[in-house]
Amino acid sequence: MLEKLHTTAKVGSQIGRSLPRTESRDKVTGRAEYVHTMRLPGMLVAKLFRSTVAHGRIKSIDTSAAKRVPGVFHVVTIDDVRKVMPDAYYGPAFHDQPILADGKVRFVGEPVAAVIAVDPHVAEEAVQLITAEYAELPAVFDEVEALTSNVYVHDELRPAAAFADLKHLKGIKNTNVALNYRLRRGAFDTAYAKAAHKFEHEFRTQKALHLSFEPHATIADYKDTGVTLYTGSQGPSFVRTEIARLLGWPENKVRVKVPYLGGGFGSKLYIKLEALALALSMIARNPVKVALTMDEMFYQITKHPCTFRIKSGVDEDGRIVARKCEVLWNGGAYADIGPRVAQKAGLTAAGPYDIDNVSIDSFAVYTNVTPAGALRGFGVPQLTWAYESHTDMISRALKLDPVEFRRKNLMRDGGQHTTGQVLKDAAIEKVMDLVLARMDWAQPFDRGTGVVRRGRGFAIAIKAVTTPTTSVAIVNISADGSITLSCSTIDMGQGSNTVMAQIVGEVLDIPAETVRIAQCDTDVTPYDMGTLGSRSTFHMGHAVRLAADEARQKLDQLRRDLGEPKGSNISISDLFKKRYGMQAGNIIASGVYKPDYVSPDPETGLSANVTPFWMISGVGAEVGVDTETGHVRIDRLINVIDCGKAINPKLVETQISGAALMHLGFTMFEKMHLDGGQITNASLADYKIPGIRDLPLMMENLTVENIQHNGPFGAKGVGEVATFCVSPAIANAIDDAVGVRLMELPLNPEAVYRALRAKAGRPLEVA
Amino acid sequence: MIPFELAEPRSLAEAIRLLDPDDGTVRRIAGGTALLMMKAGVFWPAKLVSLRKIENEYAGITARTDGLTIGAMTTLADLERSADVRRYAPIITRTLLTLSNVRVRNVATVGGALAHGDPHMDLPPVLMALGASVASISPDGKRGPIVGGARGHLHVSGVPRPLRRHVHRRDQLVLGQDGLVISGEQVFHQKETDAVKSARIVASAATEKATRLNAALLRRTADASVEEAEFVADARGSVPYKRELMRVYVERAVHAACTKTGRTDGHA
Repeated sequence: MLEKLHTTAKVGSQIGRSLPRTESRDKVTGRAEYVHTMRLPGMLVAKLFRSTVAHGRIKSIDTSAAKRVPGVFHVVTIDDVRKVMPDAYYGPAFHDQPILADGKVRFVGEPVAAVIAVDPHVAEEAVQLITAEYAELPAVFDEVEALTSNVYVHDELRPAAAFADLKHLKGIKNTNVALNYRLRRGAFDTAYAKAAHKFEHEFRTQKALHLSFEPHATIADYKDTGVTLYTGSQGPSFVRTEIARLLGWPENKVRVKVPYLGGGFGSKLYIKLEALALALSMIARNPVKVALTMDEMFYQITKHPCTFRIKSGVDEDGRIVARKCEVLWNGGAYADIGPRVAQKAGLTAAGPYDIDNVSIDSFAVYTNVTPAGALRGFGVPQLTWAYESHTDMISRALKLDPVEFRRKNLMRDGGQHTTGQVLKDAAIEKVMDLVLARMDWAQPFDRGTGVVRRGRGFAIAIKAVTTPTTSVAIVNISADGSITLSCSTIDMGQGSNTVMAQIVGEVLDIPAETVRIAQCDTDVTPYDMGTLGSRSTFHMGHAVRLAADEARQKLDQLRRDLGEPKGSNISISDLFKKRYGMQAGNIIASGVYKPDYVSPDPETGLSANVTPFWMISGVGAEVGVDTETGHVRIDRLINVIDCGKAINPKLVETQISGAALMHLGFTMFEKMHLDGGQITNASLADYKIPGIRDLPLMMENLTVENIQHNGPFGAKGVGEVATFCVSPAIANAIDDAVGVRLMELPLNPEAVYRALRAKAGRPLEVA
Repeated sequence: MIPFELAEPRSLAEAIRLLDPDDGTVRRIAGGTALLMMKAGVFWPAKLVSLRKIENEYAGITARTDGLTIGAMTTLADLERSADVRRYAPIITRTLLTLSNVRVRNVATVGGALAHGDPHMDLPPVLMALGASVASISPDGKRGPIVGGARGHLHVSGVPRPLRRHVHRRDQLVLGQDGLVISGEQVFHQKETDAVKSARIVASAATEKATRLNAALLRRTADASVEEAEFVADARGSVPYKRELMRVYVERAVHAACTKTGRTDGHA
């Protein structure tokens, strides 16, 4: 059925067109609207008082001085919230996060009280006057410790009803494990025992931050008849559902409006400040805005630190015969979407290799630090970092060519993925070959002389898309023939509005620039699971295509009804005039898309259909390592992805470069430093992100065009894909240059220098 | 950020009257780039005295036969683009190209860069290595030189800061990366011997404050420098690492200064 609908769309001039982003002009001229700068009549502003301890029982909170500050309306604690909302806990996977700390604090920076005031300056001043006393409790920060620790972040688990596979966890006590995903294929133990060569390594990644340039911001405007939220969210439909649940209201009394986002990267998914803003507006009975500063984002949501223990057995011929993956995800104090990261990333933890015997355990673990969630790649960059470093280490140890070793073990179309799904449209080898060709891999390589030594490396990866998820779109043709698309995909800079307009234009044979995209407003824009995980072009793209196709059919029907001859070129506006006697009426058409899916077997994790498409990426890196300082210069970075059919090649290219450079920061230097649960560099002055001087000297962003058979016009998602391989490619290149292997991110100069000293038998003293 | 009073005096004398050395909540600003501290909630002034509108004579660069005079209100961008600066002390030009970003350089001033006293700043060690002298004025109106550089991380006295400075014609080299700035200055053109007559080496960023290192002998300079400096650990590196980095960069700075290329093998 899908195939049939797919082919009814006429392929014309809009697909494959590098149309500049339709919203660019508004953004660069300062006309685009953001929640951060939005004001409503009568709006009050809230600022938060945050915990200074990582784990503790709240003995008292003194808000009296804050309440006396002129211009302060309310100082709110959980006791006040409970009066308007009896069960004030929220979250997508677990209802574990209180709107304000409830009896206990679980991480440094957790909101404990909120001041509602006439302006942010007054609110901030009042926040400084709040004091709290805590009885400190033992805390656990490390994911490995948390797995077996008898310090528990939560007294009992509170899974959300929406996730059927978490139901069995309800009420479980004495654990920090929020989810254990497992996959069992073949018989790992037997195969590993028999393997000629055995390898076992442990890799770690650090805590790092999304740092979208617009911090989180929400305005809630509560009235007894309904609530409107203006929020910088990547998932307005989920916000609506969750707010309705908190209020015990039907969804149609909750309206969520999302203007442009100043970046998201996964940090604005599901529910963030919305529940708090709602509670504060209910208390103040006025619109209330909660807007974080850049520094406060360090206490909202982060990337998952991860420990990955990987074991491989290789036979005499260089075939990987067995692989065991044990992945621990440091989820922080509240689950957010961590359990889904553990599960969805977990299923590709063994990499793009055809291995008969695989065992995967992926644990989402609670700790006493800022919660972790989705970050551009949904955990896959952490996995790729480990398995592609591990792959390189094996080929070095066995003195096998890293290309041939991979080639011998790659999954290929027609074969099975680890999960049992038959691989289709996954251009793994083509991507690898393009990386190698652009690097002139077969040619001699300049290894440098003197202090700076050069090396090169590469990596390849595979990812499944979060499934099953649903998207709905509405196409509205007005009587003058102009067309509006309503969908809840959020344009946060990735260019989704442009791509969706191109799809409408393609189907209805009009220029994409003439298609208006309605601003997201859940009163009028229909359901979408969320702008996440590189799913929008595929899922919403399909829904939009189907809606446009239905609109086209309705137009054709109208022509027939009005007796227009076949092939008539009567304009749409004339058609409406003929039908309604004046410029009046609409054609409304909708499209819904949800891919097929087979739930993984709970025991084995296997499934014949876990994803409608695969994301494939490859990166090649050439580096120069300063052997006296450990500084790594990136001479070349070749980023290649399988993009299906590029609907907008220029946007695909910018998604590749943006993803790669974002991950270059996580690879080379970005790190939240923690000391006893305190973040010691919680500001942009001390948390370094890539600047112009950190860019590779040369960078190429390339695609392998590889029609996705079930994609809209052959397309698939690209937003995250170029993040996957940056870290291992660079680590492999460093090893190639100077013979040291780093097992933990970031690959900062001190880490490289220490490894060089250790290799030389003169380890540098511990700080 | 809480509300504060902003004064914009038209003259230096008026600015001085508005300041109160005993009141830490009354501070002067030049380019205003350090106001980041207000945004971060670290610094809550009651009154800021902007020097933006004082007499023009405190901004600008004058070349003389024996050096340069640079007004404290000269922006870093003006310094960066000055042909005189490029001729007399090209190291300043080179340093500015890597210092912060163009938006900051367009408003930040030379006086502010010295007065702010943050050891991570790039300009102070360069000027120290060049032997710059600083003319300042105190609340009682007396003018006089201030010897030495910054007093440590974000600790600068409340008196008005340097207004004029003097740089001798020299060339030198700055190496900085990963939280360490090394400036080495050399007097070259000893035609007969090609020997270094005198050298100043200043380290900062890795240290609590910009520090002039007095080690004299080239061979031992790097090791001796490391012994002299007081290091601080931060997100950019540990003390043992910074100590090693100092050794390498001092050696490179001295070597590069001696070869006049200003370049080394490593990533400088």
